[in-house]
Amino acid sequence: MILAKLLLAIAALVLAPIAGGLISGVDRRITARLQSRFGPPILQPFYDVFKLFGKAPMVVNTWQALCAYVYLTGAALSVVLLFLGADLLLIFFVLTVGAVFLVMGALASPSPYSQIGGQRELLQMLAYEPLLILVFAAIAMVTGSFKVSAVFDQTHPLLYDIPLMFIVLGYALTIKLRKSPFDISACHHAHQELVRGVYTEYSGPYLALLEIAHWYEVILVLGFCALFWATSVGGMILLLVLTYFAEIVVDNVTARLTWRWMLKSAVGMGVALTVINMLWLYAR
Amino acid sequence: MLDTLVFVTVLLPFLVAAALLVLRGQNVRKVVLVATAGVLILAALAMLRHGAFSFAPAPIFDRLVTIGDFVILFVVLFVGFRRKNQIIIWLTLAQIVGLFWFESFLLKDHPHFPAFFADDLSIVMVLIISIVGSLIAVYGLGYMKVHEEHLHLPKSKQPVFFFFIVLFLGAMNGLVLANNMLWMYFFWECTTLCSFMLIGHDNTEIARKNAERALWMNVLGGTAFLFGVILLHKTTGTLALQDILARGSQYAVAGGAILAPMFLLVFAGMTKSAQVPFQSWLTGAMVAPTPVSALLHSSTMVKAGVYLIVRLAPLYAGTHFSNFVALAGAFCFLVTAALAVGQSNGKKVLAYSTISNLALIIACAGINTPAAITAAILLIIFHAISKALLFLCVGAIEQQIGSRDIEAMRGLHAVMPRTAIITIIGVVTMMLPPFGMLMAKWMAIESASGQFLVMIMLALGSALTVLFWARWAGILLAEPFGKPKPERQYASVRTPLLVLASLAVLVSLLAPAVYTGLVAPTVAMYYKTTAYSVTMLGNLDSKTGMFIIYPLFILLGLGFCYAVRQAKRVAASQVSAPYMCGEQLDVDGKAGFRGPLGQPVAVVNGSYYMERFFGEDVLTKWINAIAIAVLVLMLFGGAL
Amino acid sequence: MFENMINKSRIKSPWVVHFDCGSCNGCDIEVLACLTPMYDIERFGIINVGNPKHADVLLVTGTVNNRNKHVLKNIYDQMPTPRAVIAIGACGCSGGVFREAYNVVGGVDKVIPVDVYVPGCPARPEAIIDGVVAALEKVKAALGMTA
Repeated sequence: MILAKLLLAIAALVLAPIAGGLISGVDRRITARLQSRFGPPILQPFYDVFKLFGKAPMVVNTWQALCAYVYLTGAALSVVLLFLGADLLLIFFVLTVGAVFLVMGALASPSPYSQIGGQRELLQMLAYEPLLILVFAAIAMVTGSFKVSAVFDQTHPLLYDIPLMFIVLGYALTIKLRKSPFDISACHHAHQELVRGVYTEYSGPYLALLEIAHWYEVILVLGFCALFWATSVGGMILLLVLTYFAEIVVDNVTARLTWRWMLKSAVGMGVALTVINMLWLYAR
Repeated sequence: MLDTLVFVTVLLPFLVAAALLVLRGQNVRKVVLVATAGVLILAALAMLRHGAFSFAPAPIFDRLVTIGDFVILFVVLFVGFRRKNQIIIWLTLAQIVGLFWFESFLLKDHPHFPAFFADDLSIVMVLIISIVGSLIAVYGLGYMKVHEEHLHLPKSKQPVFFFFIVLFLGAMNGLVLANNMLWMYFFWECTTLCSFMLIGHDNTEIARKNAERALWMNVLGGTAFLFGVILLHKTTGTLALQDILARGSQYAVAGGAILAPMFLLVFAGMTKSAQVPFQSWLTGAMVAPTPVSALLHSSTMVKAGVYLIVRLAPLYAGTHFSNFVALAGAFCFLVTAALAVGQSNGKKVLAYSTISNLALIIACAGINTPAAITAAILLIIFHAISKALLFLCVGAIEQQIGSRDIEAMRGLHAVMPRTAIITIIGVVTMMLPPFGMLMAKWMAIESASGQFLVMIMLALGSALTVLFWARWAGILLAEPFGKPKPERQYASVRTPLLVLASLAVLVSLLAPAVYTGLVAPTVAMYYKTTAYSVTMLGNLDSKTGMFIIYPLFILLGLGFCYAVRQAKRVAASQVSAPYMCGEQLDVDGKAGFRGPLGQPVAVVNGSYYMERFFGEDVLTKWINAIAIAVLVLMLFGGAL
Repeated sequence: MFENMINKSRIKSPWVVHFDCGSCNGCDIEVLACLTPMYDIERFGIINVGNPKHADVLLVTGTVNNRNKHVLKNIYDQMPTPRAVIAIGACGCSGGVFREAYNVVGGVDKVIPVDVYVPGCPARPEAIIDGVVAALEKVKAALGMTA
């Protein structure tokens, strides 16, 4: 039993970044096709990360190095916990460890771009954290427990009971994937916002670590999405594919707006949808 | 043995305080204070070893308490007349008349029950007061020395300062050990008086004004407390808390008569804990010297309010009143977290954060399930340690750099490395796993499932707290590469900081033991079941959720140690200036750039405080109005 | 083996930072045209990043003058090694028609070492892409790779 869990943990630890990188590569390819161009090969994110590992390290102070590693630890640990079936709220808080240290690393550098990036990253966190907690609360209301294992004991998909919460999760996913219109702090590949926001002062191997940590986070949030159709593997995959494609389309048709708009729209819509869904659950 | 313990924790501080009032020598004071601190800590630990008890002191003390009650009331009345404060005058007169009438006519004879009793919740509080409180008192030695040097005082006011600090420790211990509600009232009023005197210690205009505000709000609470006790006596026929709690299940019915005194007592607790709309006395109390803020206004006195509310929770479990208490707590948690986001004054951030966490404890008491009460008690423990640590850090920082503004603490690690790291330990233990505070918050959120309005407010508030903590922690590290200057600090300041930081981490590590030893028995006693079971790996498990403790400590600890090792390997050759579009320039060792006319410009950074959304003046009016509405709802919808 | 993977990735993922060092913007427009769907250099893994700390290749246009030569030097210094520099346009190569002007330094290689020169006024996108490929071939040779 313990051995099985250990093997599962190691599998999650090793396979998650590979999956995350592949998803990132597919993302860039599909985005390119939507923009009438060819786009890079699917393995491009891995080339990027390996190249970054080969660069000479360059930091502003030692805290950046520390924070990069702790961010990676937090992200990786939260994915491992998800695959071990742990408590959803606990997974969320372990993720917060990583996210907070990313912000601390950005704020530890006196560069103005990094500072503003860090502040805006905090505002992004302010937008998606309540949404994630509310999604987990809704899941707990339906399954009776916060544990991931309880979701798999359900007879029908969560999507039937809490469809609106899936939309709320979609808001959190957009913010976490750093896609428009919520890429306030540091946009995903190639797009610049205040140079590179939180990532500005990181370079070389440390930037590679941040990239891998980001892949872990992507897998984590997609994992949360997958919980909404936990009854069949086919349904899960279909849901993930459709959701991710929707994210890419939204990213390409919207523009980045202000943080005020992000807070109002994400949190406002999120709370409104939560209230409606909860009332509906109570009424049933 | 037992009488010695109670004497040491409750009465000895009163005697030592009197001694400190007359002792003038600095060194004698140091010896007496450190000795008292040691004795208090030992006594608290011995009480822990002993376990639950009841204790009846000699009957003479009953008389003394009654006399003490009236003495304090007349002192407060005198202050009211001096300050010409109508609220204080009329409320104190009401208390005097009420108490007199109650003592003379309604109480038939001397009470037959023991005046003190302790279950695990009381012992937890005694431990917090004695250990954290003593450390803060010791810190006060070094701090007040520097404080008075900065103020160029002709004659030292430390005797009267330490008189009230130590007196307060005794009063708090008495409060949490009290079984007789009138004795609790006496100790309650004692703490009000100590708070008033200590806030006004520096005797400046603003200190006097804020002390007066604290006094009238706490007098309002005191009046509610007294009349709540009188009504409680009328409803239950006894003043013995232990007996009332034992009969708890027969009272906790919807529309029960006990809900009216419950409202009054909960209201008293809410004023003592500076809940909205009474938060201004606590934020105003930040003008006092830092040991006062740490001791009274974060880890102990304000905990008396929430202690009362948690203590009484079994009496209103399952009623509508309880739901309203939860809503009030959750609302306060959310709005004070929002207010903290808009603050750049370090002590005010800590003040609002304190009120926020106290509100969370009250919300848990309102949710009133075994899991929620477990969360409440754990929050009390961990918040006391971490918040005291943070206040002491801010005090030391303020004395060194001359400002308590967070923006002035940018790059603090370069100037005060040890204190900066300890501050970050304080911040991290307050908001991140695997530490106990986060575990308690996790428990609180999980226990709120089912009450979705409370859950929404807890979710929003929790996200807001991350914002202001992470911002502060990050800013402390914004320094250029290089070795920091070594830091010089008095031992009496340094030692409490180090001890509290170690305690914050250690007690979190020992959380399973704390749970099984101190929290679970209390919850089981009043609620018949415990919420969680401790698994083999030290995890807290229940049907609804599991919090991983030891494995998480190990894994996160390993990751952190590896990160530290990698960070230490960063060599000077790897360091580069921040990106300034190619115009980077070193300006007096700080980051800078070449300005438009070729002149060097140092980088000046700020933070998003978003005063237009989260500013005090923007939000306070609305918050107070809604809070008063919730209180009215609580009274009419819940209690009556 | 890890070394091998890193070397291969260096060829497949050259991130570019572009700096206009006094250009008339003609070459800059052509550089940015390379990023459009028409020429799509992202299929080679090339991304236009915002700051030198993330970049492998520095694309410089313009003549370089006494006002901005220190900026060029600073940007070059803030690029972590290994790195390459490509001077684009006649101005970047030698100062172009402005070589005799009083403020002009006269070509990027007067300030920083240049790996590839892409002539033209303005240099065509195909020539710029050619230049980047030539730079990558140079890197390959320097790393001792044959494929």
